[in-house]
Amino acid sequence: MKRIMLLIIAISALAGVVVLTVRASRHPNQDTPTYVTEMPAGYREWTLISVAHEEGNLNSFASVLGNDIAVKAYREGTLPFPDGAIIAALHYKFVPSVENNKAFGRDQSFVAGAPTNNQVMIKDSKKYAATGGWGFGHFNNDGKKVDDAFMKTCFPCHQKIKERDLVFTRYAP
Amino acid sequence: MKKFTLLLVGAATLAGEVVLATSTSRHVTAQETDPIFVKRIPPGYRDWKVVSVAHEAGELNDIRAVLGNDLAIKAYREGKLPFPEGAIVGRIAWSFVPSEENNKTFGRDQSFVAGSPTNAYLQFMVKDSKKYAATGGWGYSSFDKDGKPTDEAAMKKCFPCHQAIKDRDFVFTRYAP
Repeated sequence: MKRIMLLIIAISALAGVVVLTVRASRHPNQDTPTYVTEMPAGYREWTLISVAHEEGNLNSFASVLGNDIAVKAYREGTLPFPDGAIIAALHYKFVPSVENNKAFGRDQSFVAGAPTNNQVMIKDSKKYAATGGWGFGHFNNDGKKVDDAFMKTCFPCHQKIKERDLVFTRYAP
Repeated sequence: MKKFTLLLVGAATLAGEVVLATSTSRHVTAQETDPIFVKRIPPGYRDWKVVSVAHEAGELNDIRAVLGNDLAIKAYREGKLPFPEGAIVGRIAWSFVPSEENNKTFGRDQSFVAGSPTNAYLQFMVKDSKKYAATGGWGYSSFDKDGKPTDEAAMKKCFPCHQAIKDRDFVFTRYAP
């Protein structure tokens, strides 16, 4: 009986080691990046971080929003962003406003036109370890996620601002 | 008794007319008096939800975000016009500046971001149809980057310009989805 007990303990311990080994090898430096599959609920209610305009092919307006965790970190200057922080960039066409220009009496006003896409970064240092702790997402205006080939371009570019935890947008006062 | 009742009715009617006449003349007076400008920045505005974003080229050369308090956002989303009492629409303006760090990453000059607050940093429209009857039911305010209200001479320009869009209750900015 004592022998059987010892055997069971030995097997359990071994099994535990195997499980731990498998987990450990899975975790750090994951080879396959994981992408965000849907826009987080309620993002349109979030707080403004800043605004931006991209010229050229994009010709877009961006309104960058953050959930409470992200905005708190921004305002307190906390880096890296804590787990649970989410930053969303809402993109629209950059269009002249005929009605504003008429009121101003000159061509000067550009506004957000039709939505083009939404992008999101979700901080989860374990789940998204392969991409700097951030899960990237890109959804066109039909709400559909873009393919992984496109998504692979996010992280290499964001890595260029590693000193600010891969986040380009600065908080506007 | 009948005569007395008639007298009472007559007196009451007369009193009513006097009250009506007084309130009418008050209303007219309110519209004729100088507009009232708001001198206080609404607390918590920086946490409000986004209505939309815009860029003014030329002399202003700013990039701006338009925010709304809960009453304003609700009205926008439901397409309710005129805006209800208590609705506040705010706009924050920053200088429109190229982002060197973004351009470096993109490998081309394309990125413009919000720089420092402008001289007309904050502006608000507060809906109170009685208090601000002289300016279409909206109280206008404007503050520089230090929170100092813009002088009244400049503030007098708000309403005449916003009148151009009376059909949308004097509010230029449309809601961005």
